Amino acid sequence: MLNSHPDLTPSVLIGLGWFYLLVFLMNLLWTVRSYKHEGEFKNGVPKASIWAVYSSILMMLSFYHFTYPVEGFLVSMPSGFKDVFDAWFSNPVLFFFLSIAGLVFMIQAREWWIKPTVSWVLLNLSLIFMGLSLTDYDFRQIVGKPDNVPIVAMLFIVAFFTWIYFTRAVDNDRRITQGRPLFEQENNDKVLVWPDLVYTELICMVVLTAVLIFWGIALKAPLEEPGSSVKTPNPSKAPWYFLGLQEMLVYFDPWLAGVVLPSIILGGLMAVPYIDFNKLGNGYYTFKQRSFAVTTFLFGFLPLWVALIVLGTFLRGPNWNFFGIYEYWDVHKVEAANNVNLSEFFWNGLGLGIPKGSTVSQILLRESPGILLTLGYFALLPPILGLTVLRKYFVRMGVMRFLVFSNLILWMAILPIKMLLRWAFALKYIVGIPEYFFNI
Amino acid sequence: MTDPKPSTNDILSKIRAKNAAAATPAESAPADSPSPVEPQTPAAPAAAPKGTSDILAAARAAAKPADAPKGTADILASIKKPAAAAPAAGGAAPKSPADIMAAIRAKAGTAPAAEAGAAAPVKAAPAAEKVAAAVTPGMSAAEMIRAARSASDGVPTPPKVALPSKPLAGKAPAVASKAAAADVTRRSALGDVVALLLSPVVIAWGAFLTSLTASGLAVARFMMPNVLVEPPTKFKIGPPNDYAPGTVSTKWQAQFNVWVVNGEVDGAQMIYALSTVCTHLGCTPNWLEGEQKFKCPCHGSGFYKNGVNFEGPAPRPLERVGIRLAEDGMLEVDKSVKFQKELGQWSNPSCFVGVA
Repeated sequence: MLNSHPDLTPSVLIGLGWFYLLVFLMNLLWTVRSYKHEGEFKNGVPKASIWAVYSSILMMLSFYHFTYPVEGFLVSMPSGFKDVFDAWFSNPVLFFFLSIAGLVFMIQAREWWIKPTVSWVLLNLSLIFMGLSLTDYDFRQIVGKPDNVPIVAMLFIVAFFTWIYFTRAVDNDRRITQGRPLFEQENNDKVLVWPDLVYTELICMVVLTAVLIFWGIALKAPLEEPGSSVKTPNPSKAPWYFLGLQEMLVYFDPWLAGVVLPSIILGGLMAVPYIDFNKLGNGYYTFKQRSFAVTTFLFGFLPLWVALIVLGTFLRGPNWNFFGIYEYWDVHKVEAANNVNLSEFFWNGLGLGIPKGSTVSQILLRESPGILLTLGYFALLPPILGLTVLRKYFVRMGVMRFLVFSNLILWMAILPIKMLLRWAFALKYIVGIPEYFFNI
Repeated sequence: MTDPKPSTNDILSKIRAKNAAAATPAESAPADSPSPVEPQTPAAPAAAPKGTSDILAAARAAAKPADAPKGTADILASIKKPAAAAPAAGGAAPKSPADIMAAIRAKAGTAPAAEAGAAAPVKAAPAAEKVAAAVTPGMSAAEMIRAARSASDGVPTPPKVALPSKPLAGKAPAVASKAAAADVTRRSALGDVVALLLSPVVIAWGAFLTSLTASGLAVARFMMPNVLVEPPTKFKIGPPNDYAPGTVSTKWQAQFNVWVVNGEVDGAQMIYALSTVCTHLGCTPNWLEGEQKFKCPCHGSGFYKNGVNFEGPAPRPLERVGIRLAEDGMLEVDKSVKFQKELGQWSNPSCFVGVA
């Protein structure tokens, strides 16, 4: 019988063969490095031997992919694992909490995971995970789509640059506690603009151009049928860099998520230099001296932007439903969702019934709980925070700067808060006045 | 006319003399007499030089053989003077580049002036007069240059000379110089406006704004096309019994953007037409028969069969459009009117057709 969704085809196996060959070569170099620098175990066996064994396994794996026919192929992701993984990942709540937990872990355990061996193992795990997952048809459909290639690349690039930051920062923090000069001061080998910098730029330019040309030739532009006002593609996705915003649009009114929040993000980023009173960390990497700034930035960037892009790209399917990464994109997947406004919760909870009527005063009465809550959030929380948790910042900043700062923080916090409320209580809008297009 | 061929030096010395005369208004100008004036022997040295031009004229005066050249400017000036017999160096060196320029200009006009002077000495005199009249103490260097240039240029072409020299005729040099000064200011006021209007920046911005206006008008014209290629807002969709009770018809979705629903609303069976525009951000939802709901692919908004939103971010129900039973027994949809539930418009009988 013809399988319309074949997990494996010869071309997939060949591609994976090249993939494992690349991983093998990387690990071969790593083995050489390990042999030179990492010494031996107690019994005299060099530590590099483990990497040598691992590399040879990868090499055999690569040849196995190149030579073996599709039938009876052994190396693929176990279906039990896939089922468990799907069960986890078709859940936005868990995904979001895992991304937050990942951030916390990344900051707390930074001295551990930046070690060369540990980070190399993590990289290898992610590559093996990807290689095994690519044997799955549905995973391949999503990850292998030419549209999504930059996002897969972005994951590794973001991880790499975060690693660089933490490596340097941990190193400098150690130097500061030990009273040694900073890395940037000690290794201050200044070079000339010409030829050092200009040559580097030239090489980067040539390489980048070559990569773009190769990319443009190798990956076909995902053209679809001509546009029609009556037919919206299902799912209909924004450009990948806006998928975080599109995810926000699920929880917020269009004018809020599409206009107000992006403006606040841009304006807030511009305001950062005027808000920041910490003069440390200028010109060198450090975490301890700028822990609040770095944590805030990473929270806004990794869980609230990158993770939401990943979520929108890989986990949102037809009808904007959640799908696991190995799950078939079923157009008819039913996802029970019945969203309720805060006013309905409040008045029905009191047993009074929702106030009827469409005059302005009646609408205001109906939405009074949400309006008061929102006003209180933005009016009362800043002074409360300034007198308690953020007292140190209030003292250093003064009233105006602290108000701007705390409001920006509150705006950033409103994103996860609204998402949590939606997931936990199926809350649609805190203030819902569809009569005047005003929904929060 | 002591010299049949007046050189620049002669002319300049005359200017000098005239200026000296202007200092004493009683002396009448030679311009008064139409006949060639007998050269007034340069008595100027007696009078104290008034301005740089005087000093320059003194320096250039051939009649006054001078001392040794004092500065490089003097030497340069003397070298540049081929017609002058003796390299004249003034008692005082030219003070500014403007002076040097004036001197050079005067010399440049020498050759024609000299020729003209040889042919008709009459003409040389007015030229000199004009310079004398124009170059008055207190003028700026630029004005002096202009005056000197116009005078020397004007010599070979009488008509040109005639015009500016007319107002001078029969007038005392002092008056003439005043008139000339007034003329300069009037011309500059008008000229300033013209120069401003013709300046590159005005022309450039004018052209830019004109093209912007033109393209804006063209865009405005686009808003009123001659022919509108879009489906009519009023159309027949067949008899009511084409739409079975409890069904959602999507057959008009592609053509007219409406779903026709035969459903039960508040206990009454009715046919109504829903607009296919999602109330969240305007995508087109899909009718899912299995789940009996409209589901938007963009952000997951869901609507019941009656159009009421129940899931996802859509803030309000789908909009109904007008529908009525036409006289010929066909249903007629009118998309030009909208009925919104949150505004209480669904009770309007224009947005549904009751069926038994």
